[in-house]
Parts: sequence; C-alpha cells; structure tokens
Amino acid sequence: MRAKLRKELPLHLMLLPGLVMIILFSYVPMAGVMIAFQKFIPAKGLFGDQKWVGLDNFEYVMNLPSFTQVLWNTLFISSLKLILGLIIPLVFAILLNELASNVIKRSVQTAIYLPYFLSWVVLGGILIDILSPSGGIVNEFLGWFGVSKIFFLGDNDWFPFTLIASDVWKNFGYGTIVYLAAITGIDPGLYEAATIDGANRWHKTWHITIPGIRMVIVLLSVLSLGQLLNAGFDQVFNLYSPQVYESGDILDTFVYRIGLLDAQYGVATAVGFFKSIISLTLISSSYFLAYRFAKYRIF
Amino acid sequence: MNTGTRKGPGLLKSTSILLLSALLLSACSGKLESGNGGKEAAAGNDPKPNAAVDESPLGKYDPPIEVSFVRDLGDVVENNVLGVLKDETIDNNRWTQLYEDQLGIKIKYNWIVKGSQTSDQYLQKINVTLASGDLPDVTPVNATQLKQLADSDQIEDMTALYEKYASPFTKKVLSGEGTSVFDAATFDGKLMAIPSLESSIERSMYIWIRTDWLEKLGMQPPKTMADVLAISEAFADKDPDGNGKKDTYGLGITKDLWGGAMGLEGFMAGYNAYPNIWLDDGTGKLVYGSIQPEVKKALQVLQDMAKKGQLDQEFGVKDGGKVSELISAGKIGMEYGEQWNSIWPLQLNRDNDPKAQWQAFPIVSESGDTPKVPLKFSTTRFFAVKKGAAHPEAVIKLFNLHLEKNWGETAEFDKYFAPPEAESVWQLSPVTPYPVTKNVDAFREIDAARKAGDFSTLKGEAKTIQEKLESYASGSTEGFALWGWERIYGEQGSMGIADQYIKNDQFIQEKFVGAPTPTMVERKTTLEKQQNEMFVKIILGDPIDKFDQFVKDWKKLGGDQITQEVNEWYAATKK
Repeated sequence: MRAKLRKELPLHLMLLPGLVMIILFSYVPMAGVMIAFQKFIPAKGLFGDQKWVGLDNFEYVMNLPSFTQVLWNTLFISSLKLILGLIIPLVFAILLNELASNVIKRSVQTAIYLPYFLSWVVLGGILIDILSPSGGIVNEFLGWFGVSKIFFLGDNDWFPFTLIASDVWKNFGYGTIVYLAAITGIDPGLYEAATIDGANRWHKTWHITIPGIRMVIVLLSVLSLGQLLNAGFDQVFNLYSPQVYESGDILDTFVYRIGLLDAQYGVATAVGFFKSIISLTLISSSYFLAYRFAKYRIF
Repeated sequence: MNTGTRKGPGLLKSTSILLLSALLLSACSGKLESGNGGKEAAAGNDPKPNAAVDESPLGKYDPPIEVSFVRDLGDVVENNVLGVLKDETIDNNRWTQLYEDQLGIKIKYNWIVKGSQTSDQYLQKINVTLASGDLPDVTPVNATQLKQLADSDQIEDMTALYEKYASPFTKKVLSGEGTSVFDAATFDGKLMAIPSLESSIERSMYIWIRTDWLEKLGMQPPKTMADVLAISEAFADKDPDGNGKKDTYGLGITKDLWGGAMGLEGFMAGYNAYPNIWLDDGTGKLVYGSIQPEVKKALQVLQDMAKKGQLDQEFGVKDGGKVSELISAGKIGMEYGEQWNSIWPLQLNRDNDPKAQWQAFPIVSESGDTPKVPLKFSTTRFFAVKKGAAHPEAVIKLFNLHLEKNWGETAEFDKYFAPPEAESVWQLSPVTPYPVTKNVDAFREIDAARKAGDFSTLKGEAKTIQEKLESYASGSTEGFALWGWERIYGEQGSMGIADQYIKNDQFIQEKFVGAPTPTMVERKTTLEKQQNEMFVKIILGDPIDKFDQFVKDWKKLGGDQITQEVNEWYAATKK
C-alpha cells in the first residue's frame, strides 16, 4: 500500500497546481455568493456586519424592465452563435478535406485559424474601423453595389447579427481544425473500398466522413450547451455602446454595469448567481446528454 | 478503470483537505481585510506626521506635506490646457506649484483616468478604489458613495476642522446657497465631507428663439405659453427659412427630454409642472414633481405639437448631439435651455449661417403671470478625507487658496482661472470651488461699466469676459467664434435675464437635498428610465391616460417608499 502510494505520489502532486488554481479562482469566490442576499457595503468586508435582505435583490432584478430583454438577447445571440459555430466549421472542414493540394489546405487552415489568436480588444478596434459607416471598408464595398450605408455596430437591427458573424469568423478556424483532426482519424481503407464500389465524393462524404466524426460533432454540440448563457462578455463589451443596449446587452455586460459602474454589488451578484444556477443545470444536463449520445464522461 | 476506482478515495481526501484549507484561508483574509483599513490609515502618507501646522486658513506647512488625490482628466484639460501649455503636466503645473509654494502642500495623484467624472472608466475605477478600501487622502465622491463611506466609518468627521480652517471667504462662498449643500454632506450631525458647491442658479431655464425668424414672420417675443405655441406653429408651418418646403420644426427636444440644452424643464414650468424635483406641497410634505397632474397637461400640449408636425417625429432616438445637427442646419427655431446655449449648440447654427440670430428670453407661463423657474439641486461632488489621514485639514486649505487666487483680494484671474491661451486652466486644480453667482456678478459689473461707458474699472473675470465681447464687436475673424459670449453677457444676453430672475425672486428650489435614501440608491435610475420612456411615448401619440398608469407604476415600484423616506428626512432636517 505504502509502496503504491510512493509510486503514485508524483502523479498526485502533478494534480496539485491545477487543483490550487481551481480552488483559488473557482471555489473560494463562491463565498461571495452571499452578497446576493445582502445590502452589501464593500468597506465593511465580505464577513463584516452586512445587512441581510433575503430575496430582495432577486425580486428587484426580476422587476427591472430591461431584464427580460437582456435575458432574451443573451439566449438569442448565444444560441445562434452555438448553431453557426458548429455548422460552419463542419462544412468547412469537409470541404477543406476534399482539397487535393496539401499546400493550399495547410495555408487555408492557418489563415482561418489566425483571428482565433487575437483578443477581442484588438479585434474590436479593427471591427469598429472596418464596419464604420463613414469610410469603413465594408460599407465602401457595399456602396459599389448600391447598398446604402449600414451602421453595423450602432443599429439595433444589425448589431446582434454583427456580433454573431464576427464571433463565428473569429472562432471557426479552431473548430475546423478539430473536425479535420477527427476526419484524419477515419480509416483510409473505408474510402478505398468505397471507391472500388463506385461511390462518388458526395457518397463518401455522406456515408463515411460524417458518420466517422459523428461522435465528435455530438460531443462538441452537447458540451457547448453548457455555455448557453455565456454570450461572450469580451466581445460584446468591446463592441457595444448605449445605442445598442436594447439589442446587444447580455447578462454579463449587464452585471458589469450594475456592479462596477453603479456599485450595486448585491443586485449584480444576484444576477450573476441566477446565471450560475441556470448554467449549472445546463452543464449537468449536457454532461448527461454527452454520456447518452457520445459515451463521454468524466468520472 | 481499476486504478481509477482505487485512486478515488485518495483524490477525494486530498481535495477535501485543500478545500478546507482554502476555506480557512478565505476566512483569514476576510479578517485581515476588515482590520487593514485602520492600520493603513494610521500610517498616513506623510513621512513626518508632526510637521508644523500653521493654523491660519492660508498658512504654510513646513516642511511640506504630501496629500494624495485621485482624479479624472477630461478632453478639455488634455487638449485645450495641457496640449497648449507645453511645460506643464497634470502632476506639475501652475496650480500644483502654487499649492506647494504657498501652502507647502504637494499634490499627488494615486491614479488619473481619462474621461469625465461620469464616464464608465472613471466610475469603474473609483468604485473599485472605494470597494478595496485603499483610499487616497482625499477622494472626490458623489452622494451615494459618500453615504457608503460615512456608513462604513472610513472617513474623517470634518465638522470642527471646517469651522477652524475654512477662511471667511470660503465660508461665504460655500454657503452661497444656504445650508443645503452642507445638509447633503452631514450624517448624524457630522459634516463628513467638504461639498464642492455647484451653482443651482446656473440651472435656470430660458427660451432661446431665432429672432431673425421672428422678425421675418412679423412676430413678437412670447409673453404667455399661448405665444410660445403660436411661434412654434409659425416656425413649423410658415416656412421661416424661405426654401419653399415644410422642413422646419417649432421646438427642439431630445430623447432624454431634460437637461441644459433642448430640455423640457422650462416648457413644463410654463404649466406649473416641475418634473424630476422634490417640492413642498404647501402642507410641509414633499411630493415628486414628475407625478403631478400638471405634468399630464404639459404632455398633452406636447403631444398636440407633435401631431401637428411641430416636433421632429424622430426625436425619440436623437440625443443632444443629433438634435444640435438639426439646429446647426437651420431646421429648428426654438429650444429651452440654460444660459450657455449660445456657445453650444447655437453657435453651430451661426457658423453655418451668419444671418442666424438667436436670443434668450425669460420663460413664460400659461396664465401670463410671472412663472417660477425650477432649480434642481446640483451639487453632486464631495471631497471626503480618509480616516486617519495625517492632515485632514489640508483639503480645506486648498479650497481657501483656490478661491482666494481667483476671486479674492490677491486674485490673479487671468493666470490661474482663464488665461487667454488656455481658458480652462482652473481645471488643473484638484479642487475647484467657485462663487455660485460669479457669472451673474460678472454680468452686473460689465453691465454697470457699459452704462457708465467706462470699462477700465473691470478686473478679474469680468475683465476677461469684456475682452471677449470687444473682440466680437470688432468683427475680427477670431471674434466671430465669440458670438456665443455676446449672447450671454451682452446687452440682450441671457445673464441679464438671470439677473432679472434673481431680482424677481422667481426661483423654485428643489427641497430634497439630502444624501440619496436607501430606496433611491436602488430604484431611482430604473424609475427615471421608465418615466422618460413613458413620456416619450405619450408625446409621440400614446393615449394621455397612460400617464395615470405611469403614476400608479411609479408608486408601486418604489416611489411610495422613496416618498416616505424623503419625507422622514424632511421632517428631521426642518427642525
């Protein structure tokens, strides 16, 4: 027993840094949830003499006229991002896989992967420039076709779709690579056999490639379900303005404004807590689904 | 799989140990946090806590002391002051030097954030600073933040210090509006911060009208609201710009409805409606102006104006900047606003069309009686001193010297306040008190000099302004951009009307001047937002009875609670 422990100790120790991180940054802050039930005055400290107000903060949030709108925006933006974020890389990976030339394949792969490495702070600045109605390259281009100027980042009809499109553009290179890797894992023998049987490209894609990576597709889509309420703080925060709060304000930016700008810490925590509860439910059910459909499990 | 199950308990154990220790850790850090404030404060920033204190209001510290602040850095300071004065920086400029030379106070900024005091970046930074408890010696805060600091016992009681160190001139200036500003900073009978008095009189409303259009249509300046409506109708229907199209509006308003330019406060006052402020209903109770029946009547009138095409149907999405574009394009001939509107946005119109002429007129009432001019309580900034700071009185000395150097006996107005090369030099000082009637005082001096025909007696602010007026009168190119000043301080200027308002005692002051009540802190923003949405909808044609629904909702969603709290405050302070 002892010998075994000695043998396994280094493995346990390797676990330590990760655990410490998770505990420090994910578990310890959970104590802060109690702020949601307090009329919190920061100067008195987390364990200071705060006034407890029960569910008042939650009740207040539910009565805020903008809350339903914010919830709707979050779900709308996030689910469209999820759906497009799954389909577009998949299609792209299959198309890319059909390319004969390895050089082109690699370069395309690298090119589309590039924006993934830029932060939203940088991309936000670039997008604001190129989407600007006054001299932005996109509007100039649309102008050649007689399309009148569109204020992508300032118009409530366009803003959510601008968010979705730019998010997909930033991230689809990453997804594509995951799918490409999965496709590489398919036994080439299957394709050869199919060719002999007279299958064309379309048949091969439909009957070999897609079934071959079905597990990965199901897994990725089911796991992303848990992220449904994360519509992307970094992105929205860097792109939005009061003009598009109506269509672009999401739970995270809402919490940021109530909490850090209005200093209503109790209310902000209540919204954050509310979000966490729903996310927990979503993540739990997505793990269940992942097990059910992809036999994926942690423990 | 086998090893996995055997590893399980070990993993669980180590996890639980870690969890436990983490909990303990967090408990300790909590304690540390609460204990920290006092210790740190006691240490202070001054290396020699026993520096000699000269107790006179303008006495010098020897050796010099250091006082830390935090501040915002607006575009005006960055571009029009520091951009012009090449050898001055925000940390080292004529004001910091003056404070160091004369008072022995070195100004140090713990942080500086670009933007205004209400910009997101500044609010975020100051809120984090307050939450962390790592305060500078002196923090400029708003009413809500002040209440939080006072409640959590983080700041000094300034009552005795103010009495002792404020110069007679400072005391006179800061009580320029009675005791209300001090009431706002007083908790349990203790003055917890020095109020940065903002002039309420500056919130006076005027009707700005394009007089060249009036003349063209053969009309007279308004005496009653009926006249205002007639002018609005004529401006919208009778083609005042003579381009043959019906493309002009009678009255300019914005989606925000209120405010210093293109606001509705002055219009509503014509119907004895005073939205957004707390008023005494005559029985010693405070009531909220926005929910009174007079507001409904004024909204009805605005709705009729909108129906007749006298208001821009798109005003609901246009902010001040957008509406000012309409004004500068010559599409709007009348707006309600404060005394400075000629500088912005009206000067824009003048720049495009040199024939455009605007003038401020006193607001009028429906009955033709002299109307009341609503004055919102506008002091929103307070200087709080960290508990245990080595020299809590230093900020008062800064107030003394700032006032002295601009309006006192030894004033050097054109060096420290508004030198010609950089008009906003005064903003380099961390504290910026000013006499509330300084603008109208300057007008009175200039006006007296004008009548006497001798401008040589002018000094300080009045002299600086008179130079601008002369530059405008000379017709020079630089003078062209000073038309706005002439419209304020000239013979027909808005300040003349302010003078008249004061002499007639026309003001109706907001009665609630205390720190925000608990429910106000939580609900006010939401209630205001709902109010404005509803008002915009009504003006754009929703049934007027929605006003009654709004009043009902307002009361239910916290309004009744706020009213009760406000009245408790009123009853307590009236004694």
